[in-house]
Amino acid sequence: MWIELGHFAAILAFLLTLTQTSTTLFGIYRAQPVWIRVAKQANMATLLLLTLSGATLINAFLQHDFSVRYVASHSSLELPIFYLATALWGGHEGSLLLWAWLLSLFNTIAIWRHWSTHSRSIPWVMAILGALLAGFLILILFLSSPFERLIPAPGNGRDLNPMLQDPGMVFHPPFLYMGYVGFSIPYAFAMAALITGQASDEWILATRRWSLFAWLTLTIGIVFGAYWAYYVLGWGGYWAWDPVENASFMPWLTATAFLHSVMVQERRGMFKTWNLFLIITTFALSLLGTFLVRSGVLSSVHAFASDPGRGVYILLFMSILLLFSFGMLALRAELLRNPIQLESLLSKESAFLFNNLLLVVAALTVLLGTLYPLAVETLSSAKVSVGAPYYNKVFIPIMLGILLLMGIAPMIHWRRAILSRLKQDLPIPILLALLALLLAPLFAITHPYGIATATLMFFVLGSHLLDLFRGVQARRAAAQKETPPRTLPPWSALQQLLTRNKRRYGGLLVHLGIITMCAGFIGSGLFQQELDLTLSPGDSVQLGNWTVTLDSIGPAAKYNWTAVEATFRAQQGQTTVVLKTQKRTYSKHSQPITEAAIHTTWREDLYIVLGDLAKENTWNFRIYRNPLVVWLWWGTGLMVLGVTFAMLQGRRPS
Amino acid sequence: MKPIWQSILLLSVLAILALFALGLHNDPREIPSPLVNRPAPDFATKALDGQPIRLSDHRGKWVLVNFWGSWCVSCVAEHPYLMELARSTRARSDFLIIGVDFKDTEQGAAHFLARHGNPGYRHAFDPNQKIAIDWGVYGAPESYLVDPNGVIRLKHTGPLYPGWFEKMALPLLQSTPSAQKEATP
Repeated sequence: MWIELGHFAAILAFLLTLTQTSTTLFGIYRAQPVWIRVAKQANMATLLLLTLSGATLINAFLQHDFSVRYVASHSSLELPIFYLATALWGGHEGSLLLWAWLLSLFNTIAIWRHWSTHSRSIPWVMAILGALLAGFLILILFLSSPFERLIPAPGNGRDLNPMLQDPGMVFHPPFLYMGYVGFSIPYAFAMAALITGQASDEWILATRRWSLFAWLTLTIGIVFGAYWAYYVLGWGGYWAWDPVENASFMPWLTATAFLHSVMVQERRGMFKTWNLFLIITTFALSLLGTFLVRSGVLSSVHAFASDPGRGVYILLFMSILLLFSFGMLALRAELLRNPIQLESLLSKESAFLFNNLLLVVAALTVLLGTLYPLAVETLSSAKVSVGAPYYNKVFIPIMLGILLLMGIAPMIHWRRAILSRLKQDLPIPILLALLALLLAPLFAITHPYGIATATLMFFVLGSHLLDLFRGVQARRAAAQKETPPRTLPPWSALQQLLTRNKRRYGGLLVHLGIITMCAGFIGSGLFQQELDLTLSPGDSVQLGNWTVTLDSIGPAAKYNWTAVEATFRAQQGQTTVVLKTQKRTYSKHSQPITEAAIHTTWREDLYIVLGDLAKENTWNFRIYRNPLVVWLWWGTGLMVLGVTFAMLQGRRPS
Repeated sequence: MKPIWQSILLLSVLAILALFALGLHNDPREIPSPLVNRPAPDFATKALDGQPIRLSDHRGKWVLVNFWGSWCVSCVAEHPYLMELARSTRARSDFLIIGVDFKDTEQGAAHFLARHGNPGYRHAFDPNQKIAIDWGVYGAPESYLVDPNGVIRLKHTGPLYPGWFEKMALPLLQSTPSAQKEATP
């Protein structure tokens, strides 16, 4: 009964989204705000109804109501409770519902926050978001309903895909979706600006926090996915350039470009059309990321729901959205023309321009690599796959260029760099970079990309620390000039500096997060060591500084799985750690799942995967030494801190 | 925006959409085998019935080589069709089926055949996946159609479906077998 209530609520929500769009359009057409207020109420009701809808599904999971097809195919009596609640997004239908719910939630928050401050844009924002949500609800209700009954109800469900029975599952999809959906708000504001042809800066200011928030959650979502892949897939890596990984990475790249180029529009009134292009592209790529998984167009480990009927609808939906958005951009961008030209190649805005070009080219190379197999297959029916070699060749040089710009940017000013200042400052980061260049061979970094990355990392580090130092200097000098003159201790100067310009220093902290991650890329990318071997209990093997001994191998069981568990003892000097790796078989599935054993230190990860039985009492193992992997997670932590700090700053006083 | 950029933008959007539209018909599960139109790797091993079995003993006939295992869920779904196909083609002198039971135990296979029915043809037993690796098998079930000259002519990934034989195999059986020159790798 409950599930029918949920279904009914979703249908009602669908009708209300249509209402939201049509009444706002009518209100705009007749210039009668009362209709727009109707839409506002409709939007609120939609959120409540969709919340109810999701709640009935979660309830069905918790109650083991296997008469609901979605519950029967994505859970079982044995599924632990924390996966039961999150099995909602363990499949196609439920994850779409999560998407729709998030969209509805963000829609409501956007209306609540911008209702009175952006009264000209908000009706259009509501109309666009309403239409978007309606599009999603059509897909949910008519083509992939999670509310379908299964009669007769089976006694037990088919269980959640064992790959998904992992804490990563609890966090990775919601964060990724928050990122994807988050971009819908800046997108809607941008479209509103295009449609009204007015308020060409308003949308940028209105959506600054939204963009930062979406970028933040998308970053977290991507890294959660990488971390999850790292410890559950058991191949020792965290990123495989799989089409769906790429799909989440492309909007990240264009959004990163966007976050930088909006600053140019705010400060200098330039790049207006470009910013619109970037946010539309970012949102379109977010949708592509959502849909790529669903339509069966691309094959990938993530493609868990391919269905041509859905594919056709999704294609139609994407076509309308892309043609409408880019068509509007092409037709109306003329209105946003601005006469301001770049004054100097050596200025912050031109640095941002090059940063944008590189990021967009990076996104294009990823798009090309993702679509190329599809194109080849469609045109010649051969199968090709584009993998790491392509991306390493094309992508890394672009990223090195971005690192270089990242180092230069803090040292140059808006409009025109002050050359004397630059001459004074530039030697310090260059010196640090040279030091890194000379020291790199001592750390056995011989690969040209490794050396270049290390050199640029120190260049960036140098320029950022110098920037901070100069800032503190300037603050103290300013305090000296006050009447009466004050002597500001460096720490309070630093504190003032940071709190007065949270946005700038939050951004610079994100850069430090990126170079921390670069250290991880060098370590894990160039210095991974791998042993492929068979071991019996008692056998020892040497890897790096570790002596790894297989202590025992035996059965283990918990919740709904049984496993073969190998226990290792790894020794390095005085330290001894115990590592357990498992090969799990879930009660309802034949496919075994590996659980890698990972011991993490700041220097390296020791990573052990249990393979197949080779012969009596002897097993195959793969042991990796993955240097500096933890720096990736730390780097992400710094990025999260940086963006959060930047979000604390309200609107720049004009 | 300059007209040239307008056109580039809209044309690239259209191109990507067209690519997706055409790509919808691709089947992501279909992986072409480089072995198609190449000589089938021969195998000579113990069959599930305990007697030796050799693929090349059956030159002169079309052979459907079906890879399966008792651990494979889709094989259960495929099994009724194989039973039916074995029954309906038993009379043909130019066609036979050989199963390859891989990554399996003899007890497991016996249990599977007892439970889901024994289609009557013979099965090579391949517990260490030696044959499966030679043939580049990704998963089970997977089927290969080998022509009278010992050349693989067709590969099917996933369960065979009712009507597969008439639709996919018969046209080949009625055509001329591969020329001998194709049989040289």
